[in-house]
Amino acid sequence: MVVGTKQGMARVDELYKERAQRVRELKSGGKKIVGYLCIYPVLEMMTALDLVPFRVVGDMREPITKADSYMPPVVCPFLRSCLDTALKGKYDFLDGMVTSHICDVGSSLSGIWNYTVKTPYHYHIDTPHTVHQTSLEQLRGLLGAFRTSLEGFAGKKLTDAMLKKAILLHNEQRALVRELYELKKPDPPLISGAETIKIIKAVQSLPAGEANALLKGVISQVKSRKNGPEKKSARLLVWGSILDDSSLIEMIESLDANVVMDDTCVGSRPFFDDVKLTSDPIDGLAQHYLVDIKCPRTFRTRDFFATKKNYLEDLKTRFSYLLDYARAWNANGVIVESVRYCDTHGYEVPGVRDYLKEVGLPSIYLEHTYTEGALAPLKTRVQGFLEIIS
Amino acid sequence: MTKVVVIDGSDKVLASVVRHTGAEHRRLANLVMEEALGQAAVAIDDITYIIATGYGRISVPFADKQVTELTCHARGVAFFFPKVRTAIDIGGQDAKAMKVKDGKLTDFVMSDKCAAGTGRFLEVIAQALGLKLDELGPLSLKSTRKVPVSNICTVFAQQEVVNHLSEGTALEDVVAGLHDAIAGRVARMARRLKVEPDVVFTGGVAKNVGVVKALEDNLGCPVLVPSEPLLSGALGAALTARETVAKLQAQGTFAPVKGRKLEAATFFK
Repeated sequence: MVVGTKQGMARVDELYKERAQRVRELKSGGKKIVGYLCIYPVLEMMTALDLVPFRVVGDMREPITKADSYMPPVVCPFLRSCLDTALKGKYDFLDGMVTSHICDVGSSLSGIWNYTVKTPYHYHIDTPHTVHQTSLEQLRGLLGAFRTSLEGFAGKKLTDAMLKKAILLHNEQRALVRELYELKKPDPPLISGAETIKIIKAVQSLPAGEANALLKGVISQVKSRKNGPEKKSARLLVWGSILDDSSLIEMIESLDANVVMDDTCVGSRPFFDDVKLTSDPIDGLAQHYLVDIKCPRTFRTRDFFATKKNYLEDLKTRFSYLLDYARAWNANGVIVESVRYCDTHGYEVPGVRDYLKEVGLPSIYLEHTYTEGALAPLKTRVQGFLEIIS
Repeated sequence: MTKVVVIDGSDKVLASVVRHTGAEHRRLANLVMEEALGQAAVAIDDITYIIATGYGRISVPFADKQVTELTCHARGVAFFFPKVRTAIDIGGQDAKAMKVKDGKLTDFVMSDKCAAGTGRFLEVIAQALGLKLDELGPLSLKSTRKVPVSNICTVFAQQEVVNHLSEGTALEDVVAGLHDAIAGRVARMARRLKVEPDVVFTGGVAKNVGVVKALEDNLGCPVLVPSEPLLSGALGAALTARETVAKLQAQGTFAPVKGRKLEAATFFK
């Protein structure tokens, strides 16, 4: 098996520039490549059936020209860019595409993709948005149906033993990512926020086993290198919607700040909780993908059936993990970011900021348009914020 | 606009100069600086510390430090009005609202990438109406029935204005409507920070008495304007420079720059 000649961060950089390089090789060797949108399609099932999951993202350096014929310009520019990228043939190697009900626009995109990009196999998981018992039961059923469909596509049976093995492999990946994030705890961190995005993006472009090997290489390289990030005045936590390009974080880190922790989905979000190994593996997967991953696409509240709510208690239940992150990674400020028109994150922003204010963590809200060129005006905001907290 | 303020060790203003920035002059902050030095009757070697601020802060090669206009405005405004809690600045590029406590910036909000709600909006519309910028304010005060301007886009608002005029609406009522539109936008943005008095209004648009009145109407409280509303950022930069030197001296780490050269920025070559 060819796994490229470059190792560690050099390999990460290579994959960051040419994400599909490895999966194209694997495809020519007979593997089936399955694209997935956001972090809710169940990767363990794909891995178990020897399919190669490949995360579909957009390209903020490429103007959106083709997708506007199918999606209105006033919806999520990230998802528009995903479709645009696909319509320009950059996902032509995909044998399958799996989407889930991440948000209304994402769900609509699934149908549009099916009719316009025409990836041979297409499946949509209608993942519920609330975390109570009936939703869990619903997701278990939905995952059972996905399993059957995927078996048909792969042409083989997916046994519980195969699934458990894949869960262990992906849990190993989660543990490796957490080990990587441990390297961000010292001051200065051993690894920058911009590098972190590149590593996670590379991980999401490889089969699980190869990604784990890459992570191990990166971890040992970073531990021993001498040219890591410099010490800066601010240590920041970034919360928000997808950042699949390192430029926003590079802009922040060009100032007097290191991004030491994040809660974003090309970041810590998919990796910080393991999938529990349950006797029926579907139970553990449903619990993980509905309850454990903390993306605002899932609505969670302290006491779902209560008719009177206590706002601050509710915020504590929903966001106290952010305070845990800030403490463990010693962050003294939070960047709350969202791509424009993201209702999902937009509705969460006031709550996140109210919570951060309550616990005494200064924050700033940045809205961006998923274009690299539009980052300059945000620099003044970030610099102003750093001047306040320093 | 490029502005330079020179102060001495007791915060006395020795010089203040405001000049058009323009396309070519974007890199010629040194010329404005030379003029200020002439006004203050000091040589460049007499200057202890220089802070550059604003959108052009990266285009000042002879500055010792860059600080955002947010921090500098807050500092400058507090110098004029020590009791300021809310500072609103509307310039040609953007509009921003700042919360200030004890002379220090504590929070801020800035307008997004849109000309409506900035001085540029008024410049474009004044041109369409055949008026000079400084005629807008006094004219609008004559209004008896301002018309609402609902479009939030500068280009569409211009069409709306032309439409009002073609329907025979008095010019002063249209201009008063425009001032209300810009003040309303900025007031809504400022309210995200909780507006507390004293409210101080700076930037080029604060020279327009019509917008000052419209802002007072929208916020429901008096709005204070310094005598030179364009200079608060540059003054704030000068004050911050003096404080920075004092801090560095106290730490024993101040190293004065010798042989500073007033050069133009070169990165446009």
